[in-house]
Amino acid sequence: MAGLVLQHIEKTFGRTRVLHDVSLEAGDGEFVVLLGPSGCGKSTLLRIIAGLEPQTRGSVHIGGRCVDDVSPPDRDIAMVFQHYALYPHLTVRENLAFGLKMRREPKPVIEERIAETAALLEIHDLLDRKPRALSGGQRQRVAMGRAIVRKPALFLFDEPLSNLDARLRTSMRVELKKLHRRLGTTMVYVTHDQAEAMTLGHTIAIMHHGRIQQIGRPDQIYQKPVNPFVAGFIGNPPMNLFEGSYRLHQRDLEFRAGDLTLRVPFQAHDLAGTDAGTATLGIRPEDVTFEPPESSHVAIAGTIDLIENLGGDAMVYLIVREQILTARTFPVLRQQAGDSVTTHWPMDKLHLFINQRRVPLGSS
Amino acid sequence: MTNRPVLVGGILLAVLGSLGPFLWFVMTSFKSQIQVEAIPPTWWPDGNLGFYASALIEHRLFHYVRNSVIVAGATTIITLAVATPAAYALARLRPQGTAWLLGGLLCVAMFPPIVMAGPIWQILDSLGGLNTHWGLVLPYVSLTLPLAVWILTTFFQELPFELDEAARIDGCTAWQALSKVLLPLAAPGLFTTAILTFIYAWNEFFFALLILTDPEQQTLPVGIALFQGEFIMPWGEIAAASVIATLPLIIVVLLFQRGIINGLSFGAVKG
Repeated sequence: MAGLVLQHIEKTFGRTRVLHDVSLEAGDGEFVVLLGPSGCGKSTLLRIIAGLEPQTRGSVHIGGRCVDDVSPPDRDIAMVFQHYALYPHLTVRENLAFGLKMRREPKPVIEERIAETAALLEIHDLLDRKPRALSGGQRQRVAMGRAIVRKPALFLFDEPLSNLDARLRTSMRVELKKLHRRLGTTMVYVTHDQAEAMTLGHTIAIMHHGRIQQIGRPDQIYQKPVNPFVAGFIGNPPMNLFEGSYRLHQRDLEFRAGDLTLRVPFQAHDLAGTDAGTATLGIRPEDVTFEPPESSHVAIAGTIDLIENLGGDAMVYLIVREQILTARTFPVLRQQAGDSVTTHWPMDKLHLFINQRRVPLGSS
Repeated sequence: MTNRPVLVGGILLAVLGSLGPFLWFVMTSFKSQIQVEAIPPTWWPDGNLGFYASALIEHRLFHYVRNSVIVAGATTIITLAVATPAAYALARLRPQGTAWLLGGLLCVAMFPPIVMAGPIWQILDSLGGLNTHWGLVLPYVSLTLPLAVWILTTFFQELPFELDEAARIDGCTAWQALSKVLLPLAAPGLFTTAILTFIYAWNEFFFALLILTDPEQQTLPVGIALFQGEFIMPWGEIAAASVIATLPLIIVVLLFQRGIINGLSFGAVKG
């Protein structure tokens, strides 16, 4: 049974269309991350799933039931908000009990659930405090507790960790992952932080300009981004992307961006007869090497502009044929800024995009 | 630190300037008739309570206090009951033209009362509202509503939207979200509005004089003003009555102040 199904969701505010034909499916117990830059529509989509915002077109199914005409409290969902939205005038215990009381659960059940949740999140000591007496991390826990205590069919998270400092964010991320494993409930998680997305999600849906760009497992998205946006958005430091033109030859493809020219083996079956046009070529910083690899590759000379030593590894910023190239090396290079070096780009690590779509490289 | 004497002096001057007339009245109220009329005036009263007795008994002051409590209390309750949902709707639903509506409310609040006196008298006359308490409460409510809606709207606007949404997902209707979550948090705003409304209705003189000609219905300001006879000016009784009229206001403000200081809205979101 599917945990969540979105079918052709569209949303317009006045004349602005913020979501275009969004379809998405999350299996029961799956952790889906909606990832994208701010303003891409991911939070709006979450609010549509919650029922806080009506969609203009399309339909939402939760647990196999169409909920288009179902109000938020009856959708069997719980939501954790970016700013926590704890009720400031109620104690932690009352905050946890609020949703259950509104549903007229009997008192013993409420107390049992609160005890369960408090044990799970280790917030026993906080139960009689007011939210203002809690630290940011504790408020975050209570906000999650308020969602968990209801035992919903679907959890919605709206950038829940974005208000925490870096260290706390990392530890809460680990806890959230453990929590998901223990509860086994379907979760939809909105974030603009790719580290959160890569570590938490079974499935990542990357959104941009109100459209889903790519849906897939984290490794799929990292290794085979479907378009230049996804390629540039996922990965830190971002992928080197070169805008240029291509020309097809008999057995290979010539890519040219300014003075940078390289020929890669290519079969033209995908391009429907267009043998020249604009293209984008990409390579990830960690795939650029300074020693020739054994696999087939292209060698391109460049000059080191700057080296950032990060301890274990280093970021090397180079100028190759008047283009900027970032490389990530391990171990740290002996060369210094100003030195000339040869960079090696493995063929199987190149990403080529024509008409904003990924085209496979290689002769096979 | 060099400015400190100037600062303290300035504050003292301001406090004395505003409290001075009031203190003079308090002292006058404890004087005897001879002291009041003495020339040159004497400063310290001899602690005579005669004026209080005369104000309470001869001039039936409690009867005016009762009328004022009824009118000001009813005005405050009705104004809050109408202004709260109106402000909630303006702050949350943001209907088109909210800014114009709020601006218009402020404009209405600025009309000089004399402009409205004639129409209001005629309306009340045709409704049979002259010389009744509700006939006074009605214009009071409509005159205090604009400011009340304005204040409450800004209070609701400052509460994060996420709270309403959390309440909705927790199973609240809009009314329940208002009463169980937002109202407790907007308490300082409610208190402020209540105080301002109550003070207005308690002190208002012009409409009270216009609408209530029957001494049985008159409120404190009108009652005290009409203490004076054709040939005598009972300063002592007026002073004693004014002190009694002011006491409830001071008590109300002190009571509600605690509510205002206990600003509850901390901790709703990351501070």
